[in-house]
Amino acid sequence: MLDPEERWRLIDKLARETVEYGADRSTIGSVLAELTVKPLTGIPFALAVLYGFWGFFDAFAGFFTDGFFVPLFDDHWLPWIQNAFPLKGSWLYYILVGDPEAVNSFEALGMLTSGVFVAIGVVLPAIVAFYLIITILEDSGYMPRLAVLVDTVLHKIGLHGFAVVPMILSLGCNVPGVASTRTLETKKQRFMMMILLSVFIPCGAQLGVMLSLIPEFFGYIMIYLLAGFFVFGWILNRLIPGRSPEIITDVPPLRIPTFKNVSRKLWVKVKGFFTNAIPFVLLGVGLVNLLYLGGVISWLANSLEPLFTGWFGIPKETVAPLIAGFLRKDLAVAQLSAIDMSGFQLITSVVIISIYFPCIATFSMIIKEGRNSGGVIKVLGGSLLTLITVVFLWGGLLHLIGILLGVA
Amino acid sequence: MEYGEEGVIKQVTQNLKNQLMGRGIREGKMIRMDTKQPINGPVVITIDRSTTSLGLNLAKEISVEVKHDDTTDGSS
Amino acid sequence: MTILLMGHPNVGKSAVFNRLTGANITESNYPGTTVDFTEGYAFIEGEEYKIIDVPGTFSTEPKDEAEKVALDILAEHDDPIVIVVIDSTKVERGLYLAFEVMERGYRVLIDLNMWDDAEKHDLEIDVCQLEKILGVPVVPTVAISGKGISTLVENVPSASRTDIGELREKITNL
Repeated sequence: MLDPEERWRLIDKLARETVEYGADRSTIGSVLAELTVKPLTGIPFALAVLYGFWGFFDAFAGFFTDGFFVPLFDDHWLPWIQNAFPLKGSWLYYILVGDPEAVNSFEALGMLTSGVFVAIGVVLPAIVAFYLIITILEDSGYMPRLAVLVDTVLHKIGLHGFAVVPMILSLGCNVPGVASTRTLETKKQRFMMMILLSVFIPCGAQLGVMLSLIPEFFGYIMIYLLAGFFVFGWILNRLIPGRSPEIITDVPPLRIPTFKNVSRKLWVKVKGFFTNAIPFVLLGVGLVNLLYLGGVISWLANSLEPLFTGWFGIPKETVAPLIAGFLRKDLAVAQLSAIDMSGFQLITSVVIISIYFPCIATFSMIIKEGRNSGGVIKVLGGSLLTLITVVFLWGGLLHLIGILLGVA
Repeated sequence: MEYGEEGVIKQVTQNLKNQLMGRGIREGKMIRMDTKQPINGPVVITIDRSTTSLGLNLAKEISVEVKHDDTTDGSS
Repeated sequence: MTILLMGHPNVGKSAVFNRLTGANITESNYPGTTVDFTEGYAFIEGEEYKIIDVPGTFSTEPKDEAEKVALDILAEHDDPIVIVVIDSTKVERGLYLAFEVMERGYRVLIDLNMWDDAEKHDLEIDVCQLEKILGVPVVPTVAISGKGISTLVENVPSASRTDIGELREKITNL
């Protein structure tokens, strides 16, 4: 092997002989490429991109969910299956169809009613919209630019600008988010990121449900969760030993994504959603209904009541959605709508659902990834410890804020 | 040590060399400082048409002789 | 027979991979790690080749997990053909990786991808001379549109080893 210095000497000489550089022309692309990474223009541009991202997500998901699926399910599917399904009053009816009197698909709580509705009607449009934008951002080469811009902030909590990629991916689904932490350099960074992601970043499915169910509280919940991300990021950075090296990354030129690539990637994601997520949603509904029938939920609700009403200030019935939340967070949020509570309690419940425990898919991904970030036991132990602390502190704090504001 | 504009890389610390050799950051090359992010954020530099972003403290390990606009030599 | 696609991140490696392989693609997890890599098959001149899209790497001195996997994949295959995919606008950097692979004694074929970008920048690369000096086939491609891919495929069987000592002399005497 040559030593690096000599290798470069040879390559430079070779390149001088065979490569001829033309004049460095400024194209629209290269000008834009420069503007998007300069702080003065890049930060407003990034905000505009994120806002556009958001606007599209909201409009797309809203159009399909509220404009198409809600009427379809509420006016046609729900009343039809409520009547057509035999054995009304039996346990099977309860598990599969749910409440025979329910007038909207969120509150019926059966596998074939709420389950199918949440999966297809609410989450699917959100997933499609989300991955469409993500793929375009990835393929256009914009991601590294965003990473450079946010590095300043994220480095303060011991992370890289590149941590923005797992963050954004997690907004779609925490599973690929956790998986993508492997691009971070040190065990410390990977560990921190896995915990912060799975605790504080709500997934696209959950966002979709929140948006269609409680759009008026959406902003508050997101702000509170993001604040938690940075507060606990800062704390973890102090507590966990290890290096936080600085960013080194390529900033590739901007390109126009090709339709073919974008559609192929999108298709893979949507297919993955059908095979991985939908069974979980249906199972979640079924499991919670079974636990209801078996009396497990009312027992849990009663024994956890002091904690729920005393510390968090939310009704004890929230136990059921929390159990469902272990399977699917989106489902848990959807089930909250059937519980009678105040606006602030709803905000608190959604926050708790987001942070109390990662969903089972994310959880197994953490176990899988944990092997490479300091050992499963360490990662799992560490994340459980952080989790419990976070749920108590951050959940309790929200209750306190509510008391101080006079709304809880 | 370095500010805006263009220059020639004079020296890269050994520590950084190991990390940057494969990315083409090496002594004797023309370097252009594209941007510096505020509050000690990373810098963005271009060498041989490849744009790379580096944390500020890493970038400090690269010494550059800044080329002033009035000097005329300077093709890489 | 195995073909490994190696190159920096963002050089269109996956696009080359998609052009070379058919529908039978599997994405798998590298044992003991969490790095994914993609595998596929192609028939070239009647022979079946396994093609692996190796995770992007800047050098064969690994800096992170993905680069470590790249190196492991390189090491564990018995005499593979390595297609080093280079961004044509960043030839020097790409050649650095290509040199490292050639120094390790592998059969190499160089793919100057994103050739259209180079043209856009008025960049002229003397492919013939490059080929002559390096002693391995060098093929310009635009993988996104498929341009040059058939030439790339034709050149797979002529991928060859380079004696680094000789190469050093050739370049020094230029």
